[in-house]
Amino acid sequence: MSLRKLVVDWLDVRLGIRDLLEQNLTNYLLPRNINIWYTLGAVLLTLFGLQFVTGILLLVYYVPDTEQAFASVQAIMNEVPYGWLIRNLHAVGSNLIVVALLLHMLSVLFMNAYKKPRELTWLSGFLIFNLTLALCLTGYLLPWSQLSFWATTVATEAPGAIPVIGDDIVRFLRGGAMVGDTTLGRFFALHVMGLPLVFGLLVGFHLFCVRRAGVSRPPFGPDYRGEPERFTFEHEHHAGGIPFFPNYAVKDGAVICFFLAVLAALVFFAPNLFIPPSAFEPADPFVTPPRIKPEWYFLWAYQTLKVFPSELIGLGIQGVFMTLLALLPFLDRSAERRPARRPLFVVCFVLGIVVFIGISVWGHLS
Amino acid sequence: MNGKSPEFARRRAFLGTLLAGIGAVLGAAALYPVWRFLAPRKGAEAQDQVALSRDQVPLGGAHFFNFRGRPAVVLQTRAGHFTAFSAVCTHLGCVIQWQAAEQRFLCPCHAGLFSADGTVLGGPPPRPLESLAVTLRDDQILVG
Ligand code: FES
Repeated sequence: MSLRKLVVDWLDVRLGIRDLLEQNLTNYLLPRNINIWYTLGAVLLTLFGLQFVTGILLLVYYVPDTEQAFASVQAIMNEVPYGWLIRNLHAVGSNLIVVALLLHMLSVLFMNAYKKPRELTWLSGFLIFNLTLALCLTGYLLPWSQLSFWATTVATEAPGAIPVIGDDIVRFLRGGAMVGDTTLGRFFALHVMGLPLVFGLLVGFHLFCVRRAGVSRPPFGPDYRGEPERFTFEHEHHAGGIPFFPNYAVKDGAVICFFLAVLAALVFFAPNLFIPPSAFEPADPFVTPPRIKPEWYFLWAYQTLKVFPSELIGLGIQGVFMTLLALLPFLDRSAERRPARRPLFVVCFVLGIVVFIGISVWGHLS
Repeated sequence: MNGKSPEFARRRAFLGTLLAGIGAVLGAAALYPVWRFLAPRKGAEAQDQVALSRDQVPLGGAHFFNFRGRPAVVLQTRAGHFTAFSAVCTHLGCVIQWQAAEQRFLCPCHAGLFSADGTVLGGPPPRPLESLAVTLRDDQILVG
């Protein structure tokens, strides 16, 4: 007790830490009717932290060289003590992150939390989502397996459909005509340094936005109140709400534990759920294995490209969809946030999910 | 909340200790694999003896080789007489050089000097060179 008081006192004199803690923990009030979906941000933060740590650990033994990459990953899996654990946490964790990200986005959409004054929060979150997919894509190549090689070949081929500059874009992405040493070099640099750096800054900004604007009030029940028309900045502090710490932090912790338990269950009992057999053969640029498919979260894009007669149309539709999603808060400007009063929005929301799942399953089976 | 009875304080302390205990166990369970992952593994270092052929070591000359992961040196001071030392200087760990003309070792870092039998001739090294066991078999020199 006295030691703790000593440390806190020391920090308090220099940083005013008691004040900070009070403002951000015990006196940081959340709406009374806040629900469990609001914990997904904390879950994602934890999972990303885990990726960061396991990623650094993998970097200790991984060799970014086309001759040695596959063998170095095999060594991590089979020779380095607990290497299998670190690598599976990293590989399986990335899939879980995409699941949590989709849930996070869907809940924000459903509760209309992206609306004024939270447009920037949504936009930075959307960029984080895209960066995560880019991290997944660049990380996929690094083990230099058949799967890595051909998935990357297919993924980097897509921009080739763009007229005039398409081929140059493909060459630029790959650093040459084909996926090879140069591709591994740039994907490695992006995966371990370039993207994480931008990613970290964006997450910081995203959290800043959340804290600064204040958490949105869930648009349900008698506690709901419409947003007042705002012309100047105003922090939304929910008088009479529940404290973030300990009340909501405990809920955050519980959901985090749930996700970690799912991660552990997958890592220990089904580590290959997301890893098809072609991930266990070294890359061979002269033999394309049959049935090359992207990861489950890219299946929708893969299938759209297949459905449309011209690849350009397929790409265009994806581009339009993603742009609409990014700009949603600027297009959907009504102040009404209650889903019950926005039937058209809810129909679009449900249809969107159904179409996404439908196309993905179709892509998986075809 | 103001009526903090001793009962309340006791429960609180109990729960706090319980949580701290669980946290410590989980933390240890997470750190152990990381520590094992990063801990250096026994590779060539465990290999006990190093075999060299006699003609690798000229008379009056030295031959440097890798012994259990560290540099070592074997000398032929008289015909058929071999001695071996760790080539790591006892001062701050630089690798010594053999000066054939003077028949002595020089450490280039801080000018430590060792004689051909490993004793300190001058400079900062506090101890003689660590000598290694040498056995001869046929035309092989076995060190260690
Ligand atoms: S390290 Fe050899 S003399 Fe200092």
